[in-house]
Amino acid sequence: MPPKVDPVKCDGCQGEGEPLCEQVCPGNLMTLETETKKAFCRDAGDCWDCMTCTKACPRQAIQTQLQYQLAFFPGKLMPLVGTNSVTWTSIDCHGRVERFVIKTITGDDDEDED
Amino acid sequence: MPERVHIDTDFLIIGGGTAGCLAAWEARRVGGPDVAITILEKAFIRHSGCLSAGMNALNMYINEGTPEDYVSYVRYDMCGAPVREDIILSVAREVNETVAIMEKAGLPMKKKEDGRYLNRGKWNIEINGSMLKPITASMAQAANARIFNRVYVTNILVKDGRAAGAVGFGVRDGKFYVVRARAVLLSAGGAAGLWRPANHGDAHHRMWYFPFNTGGGYAMCKRAGCEMTGFDQRLVTVRTKDTYSPTGTLQIGMGAPMVNARGEAFMRDYPEYIKWGGHTAPTQIRLLGFCRETENNRGPVYIDTSKGDPYKVAGLKSQYLDMSPSLVLYWGCNDINPSKEPVEIDAADPAVVGAHAGMSGAWTPKEDRMTTLPGLFVSGDALGGAPSRFISGTWTCGRIAARHCIEWIKNQPDLAELDPAEIDAQEELSFRPARNYEELANSGFWTDGALKEGINPKQMEDRMQRIMEDYCGGWTRMFNVSEPYLKVARKLLERLRKTQLQYLAAKDLHELQLAWDVLNRLEVCQLVVEHISHRKETRYPGAVNRTDYPDCSEEYDCFVNSVWNPVTDEITFNKRPYVQIVPGDRKKQTI
Repeated sequence: MPPKVDPVKCDGCQGEGEPLCEQVCPGNLMTLETETKKAFCRDAGDCWDCMTCTKACPRQAIQTQLQYQLAFFPGKLMPLVGTNSVTWTSIDCHGRVERFVIKTITGDDDEDED
Repeated sequence: MPERVHIDTDFLIIGGGTAGCLAAWEARRVGGPDVAITILEKAFIRHSGCLSAGMNALNMYINEGTPEDYVSYVRYDMCGAPVREDIILSVAREVNETVAIMEKAGLPMKKKEDGRYLNRGKWNIEINGSMLKPITASMAQAANARIFNRVYVTNILVKDGRAAGAVGFGVRDGKFYVVRARAVLLSAGGAAGLWRPANHGDAHHRMWYFPFNTGGGYAMCKRAGCEMTGFDQRLVTVRTKDTYSPTGTLQIGMGAPMVNARGEAFMRDYPEYIKWGGHTAPTQIRLLGFCRETENNRGPVYIDTSKGDPYKVAGLKSQYLDMSPSLVLYWGCNDINPSKEPVEIDAADPAVVGAHAGMSGAWTPKEDRMTTLPGLFVSGDALGGAPSRFISGTWTCGRIAARHCIEWIKNQPDLAELDPAEIDAQEELSFRPARNYEELANSGFWTDGALKEGINPKQMEDRMQRIMEDYCGGWTRMFNVSEPYLKVARKLLERLRKTQLQYLAAKDLHELQLAWDVLNRLEVCQLVVEHISHRKETRYPGAVNRTDYPDCSEEYDCFVNSVWNPVTDEITFNKRPYVQIVPGDRKKQTI
């Protein structure tokens, strides 16, 4: 499920030493395009679909898509990371929306738990 | 010449993963505030490795019974093959304590009404583990370990017959790292991608095992002269078709059976499989069942979730979002509703591991996790002969290894004096593929930018995977292998390793990492081919079917270990006896 980066939303994490997606990718796959300073995945086929970059992006500029050889189009799965939970929005091929709120870490501030 | 970074430390941990992070934590706990702990991590410690996508269960926990019962389960799951009962027992005795430590560190545990952990059977508990890796990494950070991210370790330094440190290159900064240590713990992952992946093209990394674990730990141990064990076994899992997501959630979590196209629950109902344990038969027997049904034209094969508890089916998507989110999107894009129809499954491509249901790794003569190279310790996937430690057992195994390392350090007052010529040679070796590129660039480029006289790491990876797939019993061969095939694999791999590496060229630091991935994988391929060839029996049916030796032989009821000779490139074998600690029939579970 290679990450696709929206050029309008991505600002290359200006001010950061390294864009967050580049910092976190376990496969060393995310990097900045030298001229546009926008992030991209240097080899979509090398991605393991862990979605770490997608969750880490501060501007929600990254969307993960399934390879077309595996799945019909369209369809989306979007995580929104909160303090103690992650909210997933799944939109299937027919536009049906499902939401899942899942606990990620136990802490003092448990207000956005499911 | 790359800039050099010199680091002196007491305790060096290679690989900041499940074992490495907890090793750092334990080393601080028992070693006190003054012990210098250093971690070299190939990626970014908070999000690296197998745990990067999360995990929804811990597969090792003593919910009932005793640690001895867990040992009996592990050897049962290995079809009665010899396992290191001493190692597994030591982990089983501490695993529950470790889980409690991790709960305290912030890991959300699912609980029953009575407050106990929500279990799936005897050995498994459910968690909300999407942040499993950041929580694990926080243990290393709490230990005040000095963490170097994006350093790719290439070799263990050996001085006067003991481990003296390690060297590697910075994936981002291009620097050469030279680390001296009193004790070295190697806790790198296993090896994916030795065989051609079942998915191709832009999905070739949509595999079950983490594709960036490329056997570096095994290769480093082998090159350092360590005795290696268990490369005659490999882990082949049955997973959801196309996405290769874990199936424990379906099979253990929901009790959903495998069924063939006729709707027959063959594992549960066919006498030949009932004999092996039926629905809960060992991992590789369930694989064998899948393969036989497919070969006998009774496929596709499914896990029948449609007759399961509707409440549990509704929770499936949440559980997969914690571990393999792509499956949820896959269902959404393929009109699949697992509560109404069965989920199709497939065999995954083989992986070489030590901490899941795998046997591969460095041999540790005693329970102390030290390899045959004094001062070099292993844990996690790098430790061989002790399968089924999984995540919680690997945390625990890292802690135990760290305690032995701290003991070792007490008797090692001095860091080794390194030979400058040796360090120069290691630097040359580490950057060789990048220097190949610079030299081969003199011969020019094609119009597409490719070197006229060189090959890139991807090309070599493809070649290696093709050899292993066709001649070492890959997925398309239904994991069948025999000596005539192995002979071809041996010949082609030797040709690749001996004559082709001079053309392996890395145009940048990312490609240098990929080049080392394939170099390390090739080292492991040699071990796998020679080990499988040496074990003239079928000890691991399903995963390694020796068609020329289809039965189990008394002669090989032992560990098959090897040592690589760097001068002759030959591998010599010796057998190590199996020591049974927990009494009873090895093919039966005690509870």
